Amino acid sequence: MSAPPLYFDHAATTPLDPRVRAAMFASLDAAPGNPSATHAAGRAARERVEEARAEVGALLGAPAAAIVFTSGATEADNLAILGAGRARPGGHVVSLRTEHRAVLDACRRLEREGHRLTLLTPARDGRVDPAAIAAVLGPTTTLVSVMLVNNETGVIQDIAAIAAECRRRGVLLHVDAAQAAGRVPLDVSVLEADLVSLSAHKIHGPVGVGALYVRREPRPALQPLLVGGGQEGGLRPGTLPVHQLVGMGAAFRLARISGPAEAAALGLLRDRLWSALADLPGTYLNGHPTARAPHILNVSFEGVDGEALLAGLGGLIVASGAACGAESGEPSYVLRALGRDDALAQASLRFSLGRGQTAPEVDAAAAQVREVVLRLRSLAPA
Amino acid sequence: MSLQGYSAEVLDLLARAPGAGRPDGVGWVSGEAREPLTATHVRFHLQASAGRIAAARYEVRGCPHTIALAALAAAWLPGRAPAEVVLDVRALAARLQAPIGKLGRFLVVQEAIGAAALQLAGRPA
Repeated sequence: MSAPPLYFDHAATTPLDPRVRAAMFASLDAAPGNPSATHAAGRAARERVEEARAEVGALLGAPAAAIVFTSGATEADNLAILGAGRARPGGHVVSLRTEHRAVLDACRRLEREGHRLTLLTPARDGRVDPAAIAAVLGPTTTLVSVMLVNNETGVIQDIAAIAAECRRRGVLLHVDAAQAAGRVPLDVSVLEADLVSLSAHKIHGPVGVGALYVRREPRPALQPLLVGGGQEGGLRPGTLPVHQLVGMGAAFRLARISGPAEAAALGLLRDRLWSALADLPGTYLNGHPTARAPHILNVSFEGVDGEALLAGLGGLIVASGAACGAESGEPSYVLRALGRDDALAQASLRFSLGRGQTAPEVDAAAAQVREVVLRLRSLAPA
Repeated sequence: MSLQGYSAEVLDLLARAPGAGRPDGVGWVSGEAREPLTATHVRFHLQASAGRIAAARYEVRGCPHTIALAALAAAWLPGRAPAEVVLDVRALAARLQAPIGKLGRFLVVQEAIGAAALQLAGRPA
């Protein structure tokens, strides 16, 4: 029997941590109770929900009351952008071409609803100059949306500086932090963001649950996407999935306790992986060399076809471009926005590391990639 | 089909690439074709004997289906006259379970073979 493939796609989703699983099962095995109900079972369920909310808030240094549970980061992005935009019709929205589709598509929806949209292109290293954002802010600008950690390249944006520009002009700032939680510091008192999107399954929690941080003072006006109940302060109606929220709370608790040490270890593994690949001729690091999250490494390989590269790596589970965009077969729009040509954008691999990953796994992955790249190059016309 | 959506035959041909490589020696002619959008690049080398193709080799940069098709074509070409080297691209695509979107890349293989065959046909016997 051959060994199972090595998993290097933690930016797409992470395995459920056994401790999170245990907490979820304990919740599922508890007596049923709708957290909106006032009887004892309902109150017990509500208590579990509020504990989870406090854990999510704690990772951000935010009060529990600032956390609105959603079905995931995509819904949180939609609630933030569409909710804020629709509360201020006809405004101007600013974002980056390298944002996740959940942000870009929500921004484009606002554009169709009468907002003006400005999409900025970051520098070739993936970073945007806060001054470039400040330069496009005008009297009608209502919202800026910039992700903290890019899901393809791992590049970290200077959110605090962008927030300062937004605050100076009274513009709301939304930050998609789906890839940031547990990997980089995420203190909202430092970031000064008004809205922050979060996901559970990117940090070893369950799929299907996320949250939106909504600043308390001043609290931005948001229009809910759904109607039908008063849950989550009226922003996200629907019966709360208690076991999912308990799982998210447990995952965020683990991230708060062990996140800094894990991030440091992942950074060393990421650097080890890059060191093992960098001396291959025609190999390029995508994104800023230092301002990047510890768990993501994006590399392009000259002279190979990206699809053949991925198919040749049978022993690795790794993304070619963004997992969300891979179905299109198009080269990564993020890498193209950073100036990579179609061939290099297509011949890219995103390695993303996670809890429990080891140096021998990294070494084995690097050896396999080197072998396949060299072999494909040997087939290609000179 | 594999988890990545390739047939066992495609994965096998991708792994082995039988007949690939630049030939040594004299008496070979070459033809090549490119498709810039996907950076597909194929070069075929043919050798003739008594008016028929005696041997075929190829170099290829392309997707797994393109590499697999080049390998199949290299095995199919020997024994054929240069004028007979039109691949049944649709049938081969079906055999390799390639999506319809790959047909354009398959035509790059055909074009490279055709360019090499044209040179072969123009040579004195």
